Amino acid sequence: MDLSNSTMTDALGGEEEAGGSYGRLGSRADFETYQRRAQDRWTELWEGEYAVVSVGLDSSSIAKGADRVLAACREALAGDRATVREVSGNGAMWMEPWVEVKRPGEPPVVFGNIEPDEVPALLRGELAERAVGVRAEHAFNGVPPLTDHPFFKHQLRIVLANVGLIEPDSIEDAVARGAYSAYLKVLFDMSAEEVVAELTAANVRGRGGAGFPAGIKWESGRKAKVTPKFVVCNSHEGEPNVYKDRRIHEGDPHRILEGILIACITVGAERGYNYIGGEYPLAIKRFRKAVADAERLGLIGRNVLGSGKDVYFRVRTGGGAYICGEGSALMYSIMGVRGQPRTKPPRSVEEGIWKRPTVANNTETLANVPDIVNKGGAWYAAIGTEKSKGTKLMTVQGPVKTMGLVEVPMGTTMRTLLEEMWGGMRDGSVLKGIQTGGVSAGQLAAEHLDLPVDFDSLTPVGGMLGSGGFAVFDQRVCAVDFARYLTAFNRYESCSKCVPCRLGNPALVEIIDRIRFGRASLDDLPLIQRTSKHIIELSLCGLGQVAPEPLLGMIKQFEDEFRTHIIDGVCPAGVCPIGAPGIASVAAD
Amino acid sequence: MVVQAHAAATDPAGIDLDVVREIVSHFKPQDHQEAQELILAALQEVNERFGYVSLEAAEIVAAHLGTTANRVYGLLTFYADFRTEPRGKHFMLVCHGMSCYALGSQALVQELKDRWGIADGGTTADGELTIQVVNGCLGVCDKAPIVELDHAFHGDLTVERLNDVIQRAIAARNASPVAILGSGSDHGSQQ
Repeated sequence: MDLSNSTMTDALGGEEEAGGSYGRLGSRADFETYQRRAQDRWTELWEGEYAVVSVGLDSSSIAKGADRVLAACREALAGDRATVREVSGNGAMWMEPWVEVKRPGEPPVVFGNIEPDEVPALLRGELAERAVGVRAEHAFNGVPPLTDHPFFKHQLRIVLANVGLIEPDSIEDAVARGAYSAYLKVLFDMSAEEVVAELTAANVRGRGGAGFPAGIKWESGRKAKVTPKFVVCNSHEGEPNVYKDRRIHEGDPHRILEGILIACITVGAERGYNYIGGEYPLAIKRFRKAVADAERLGLIGRNVLGSGKDVYFRVRTGGGAYICGEGSALMYSIMGVRGQPRTKPPRSVEEGIWKRPTVANNTETLANVPDIVNKGGAWYAAIGTEKSKGTKLMTVQGPVKTMGLVEVPMGTTMRTLLEEMWGGMRDGSVLKGIQTGGVSAGQLAAEHLDLPVDFDSLTPVGGMLGSGGFAVFDQRVCAVDFARYLTAFNRYESCSKCVPCRLGNPALVEIIDRIRFGRASLDDLPLIQRTSKHIIELSLCGLGQVAPEPLLGMIKQFEDEFRTHIIDGVCPAGVCPIGAPGIASVAAD
Repeated sequence: MVVQAHAAATDPAGIDLDVVREIVSHFKPQDHQEAQELILAALQEVNERFGYVSLEAAEIVAAHLGTTANRVYGLLTFYADFRTEPRGKHFMLVCHGMSCYALGSQALVQELKDRWGIADGGTTADGELTIQVVNGCLGVCDKAPIVELDHAFHGDLTVERLNDVIQRAIAARNASPVAILGSGSDHGSQQ
């Protein structure tokens, strides 16, 4: 794993592993010296006389063999004075595995869909036709800039600025690209009030889905009198259609860590937590490495950089329960019990982990903080729409051509996202709808594509921004069956604490199954509405309160399809087992 | 047909409790609060190493961290990643995220029931294969529908290709009996 670093230092004639020659940094000046050296090395790397070959490795590209491509690069270049780097994927899943080759005196060129056995030819310069773009402002040898590609053209990368560029395991890379410079300001130059003021001016709203202003939350945390206080980063994205926070962890873990540490200093918390979904081993591994390196350099611990401030850190991992993305459930999980939400108030900012004031933010929210501190709230507020500021990470699933994670200014239309950035529907697929808001909201139809995507614009038509995950589906998907899938997800993930959710969701699944098997009557449609109302109004937490929304959205958007199942006994998409026996065993699955 | 959701797999060796003791010895909480925060982490390591957490292993974790086996069992049965029974020789995660759903994972789940007789968490009667249907997302959405069988990904699946992938894995193992016993000891290293 450290091969790349040792190769790098060989090439630079430098010291040991990145940062390895440094122990604890005792002062601001120490850090600034470290920062200058890191920047010098970075410049030397890209302007030096040796080739630089970078391979994007994340949980998506490794599944397609990127790790073998990296090994092939190392093998092919063994003995050469070239640098082979393990960076992270850059969100463009459609071109994975990709390799970026920078020859001395030339800009870096990115090649897509490279197989391990193609690496020797690639490095000999024989695969010119596979170049996707140049990572530079101008075209080179007829290859256009990567940013001219529709997938990248509309992106504004703040959170993802370094993702796919730096080696995520190298704190030196991160520092060279500006990591911890905002932390430095917060430690030495700014008062807590000033930090909160910038956050408030930025009007950054929670990226986990609720959209609550982070500035207000931090202000409540700062004012809380009880100590100790804690900060929790919620990195448990359990929706079946979101993979954004995982990619930030895999690509730029120090950005998240810096955001959490800034929050700790600002609200006066003695300890930060990051709660990461257990199903993301690579994200956990890279984040833990980031924490260990930050501890080693003295960015975490007693008297950080001589500032007189102490801050500690713990990484906790989830166990595959979607509900642990809910704030109070997450905190119970950290405390080693079942993740079951509680009634509020008291809010977690009054009574959170171990009954102490706890500020909880989504990963993406915290990852925005360093840039807001560095560039100011006004800069951030100039991006996006009136009520939704900044950028948003968006992920897509389903039959689109260029799938991936993108970062766009709030208010970008769904048409731009779908038809340009994600390449439109695959051949043979006709857009039927887009599931929004994870499993917590309704769908968009083709006529909604020109709506701007932000916190508020999708709501009137039954959609929701949520955490920015969109599942595109085509004519092969049956609205009734998809509604069953979405409702069954919520049934499975219900924590079972409160009755409306525990019993209501299975009841909904049962009714949908009657429709799927062709045994429903038209009375079942109002029955769905009544049952849903119970679940929405009486459930204790956010999961139950929105659990029926995808189903209600489907009925609203595709009522004819539901009626055709019921009245004609026909599933237009040919998916549902109409007339088949076995409904009882299905309902029990 | 009757689906054996939790058919018991053979586990003649059981869990080596000395290894469990070794694993928990790395957890050194400063106080009772931190001890409680570490219960899940300790269970995750045991689960990862052996593919499940037995009652005996749970008791060791509970004793080391100053809690009860009942509380530990409450966690094992709440969090989906834990198993309380051994896995089969092969372990497969079936992604059921929305990309996989929209591109046909439902048919794969159905095939596993109809042809292999297993539902989420179940093991085939011959103890060869255990599946876990991932109610989240494996994050390889452009290759949907996808499964992860013994840490190797197989994407763009159809029912026929799924059967083929499973049969080949079973055949390959039976051809080389020295293959590592089906624990998840190296889980994560590949990802």
